[in-house]
Amino acid sequence: MDWGRVKFFLGEVLRNFTRNAGMQATAIGTVAITIVLLGAFLFVRSTLAGLGNELLNQIEFSVYFKSDATSAQEASARAALTADPRVASVDFVSKKDGLAELRANTQGVIDTSLLTENPLPDKLRVRAKDADQVAAIAASARKIDGVDNVVYQQDVIVKLLQLGSVLRRVGIGVIVVFLLVAGIIISNTIRLTVFARRREISIMQLVGATGLYIRAPFICEGFLDGVLGGTIAVVVLTAARLTLWPKLLVALPWLPLNAAAINLPLLVLQLIVVGGAIGAVASWISVGRHLRT
Amino acid sequence: MISLRGVSLIYPNGVRALDNVSLEIAKGDFVFLVGHSGTGKSSLLRLLYRETVPTSGEITVDGIRVDRLRRGRIPALRRHLGVVFQDFKLLSDKTVWENVAFAMQVTGAHTKDILRQVPRALDLVGLAHKSRMYPGELSGGEAQRTAIARALVNNPKLLLCDEPTGNLDPSNTTEIMELLLRINLKGTTVVVATHNQAVVDRMRRRVVRLEDGKIVTDEERGYYYLGLGQGQVLSG
Repeated sequence: MDWGRVKFFLGEVLRNFTRNAGMQATAIGTVAITIVLLGAFLFVRSTLAGLGNELLNQIEFSVYFKSDATSAQEASARAALTADPRVASVDFVSKKDGLAELRANTQGVIDTSLLTENPLPDKLRVRAKDADQVAAIAASARKIDGVDNVVYQQDVIVKLLQLGSVLRRVGIGVIVVFLLVAGIIISNTIRLTVFARRREISIMQLVGATGLYIRAPFICEGFLDGVLGGTIAVVVLTAARLTLWPKLLVALPWLPLNAAAINLPLLVLQLIVVGGAIGAVASWISVGRHLRT
Repeated sequence: MISLRGVSLIYPNGVRALDNVSLEIAKGDFVFLVGHSGTGKSSLLRLLYRETVPTSGEITVDGIRVDRLRRGRIPALRRHLGVVFQDFKLLSDKTVWENVAFAMQVTGAHTKDILRQVPRALDLVGLAHKSRMYPGELSGGEAQRTAIARALVNNPKLLLCDEPTGNLDPSNTTEIMELLLRINLKGTTVVVATHNQAVVDRMRRRVVRLEDGKIVTDEERGYYYLGLGQGQVLSG
């Protein structure tokens, strides 16, 4: 290892990097914004996917009675569902039990003591033997006298999947645009350093430095812009996750959100690598243009 | 060392910088290229270090067919020759030592070679004692000597000088020419493009005269002006 060469190279990169601090900051900022968007998008996507899987596998659904349903109607409905061969079990949950369950699920976040009366209807909790049969059982349960509504999560799933595909399309579009913008800003930044160093470059060419040797410091500069931007983005995303995730859990208590669906270290690595890659590619193009003219 | 055969260079704007030029320069020669501004002296030098490519003709430098050289092979050619300019082309934020070392560093030279060769080059041009100074603190002659040290630090076989004394006063000019002569005596082929009549007339070396892109005279031990009409046209 020739430390003199390493020192010289790093010195050149550092000199480039500190020459246009303002432009450098702009480039890093743009990369950071892009990566934050990318990270948020990946996060939402994987959460939705996790949610979808979770819900698809649920075989439990609720049959809500009208508020004026008689206990005879409720009993016959229960008997009818219990008799259905596709049903595994049927539990009756009274208004009172329902409220107690809600209290337990939300762990005091929703202040149920403010309620002057119990808004919940009586319901049956039905478990199907197979997730595929939930829709059919729900359809027949709807026809039973005294039943107001049947809520099974497949409805939610269909909507979630629709939302997911819209989000995916919009998100990918936005991210592509931002990646382009970040690339252009980095390549402009590099062009400025190239311009500031055009004498060095012409002398390097004159004394027989290879194209790769001339490019390397600029590529490193772009890469550094990208990696720093990516790192800032990861810090922002982590902060957002730590502060917003608990609030999200509270705000959407009925959704089985699963944070474990995301491989965080991998995501962090991916985001930083993406940042570095934008920077390196943008500067490669930018310096290449200069060397060819 | 250098061979041009039927070389023409026409710029994209239609200007014919060189017109069917043929020239042989032997190893160890010292040659002046003279002529008015815009007669093709600089264009000819640029062809030799492959800054431009000829429109037609063959160029060989140290056995390398420069006119056919692929872009990726240019660095290898340039490491075999040194180039010096009128405006020195020094980096103002680097010291004399760093400017000279730069030429080795950017070609990936080993530190121990740099530490051996840079002092040698600075000794040769007589600037060892000013190695820590910046170009802004040097006289024109010293700046040009730094540039020459940089051109020589990779031990080239050929030194190309484009108006090396164009920015210098007469005493600095003499100093630089004597330095070039000494370098030539050590075996390096030297080609100097100049329109400094006094220098050419005093040194009495080979003089190749260009006019309108053509070689009009080529004399051993010549004068700037063709011995006032007594010389002979050898090629062009």
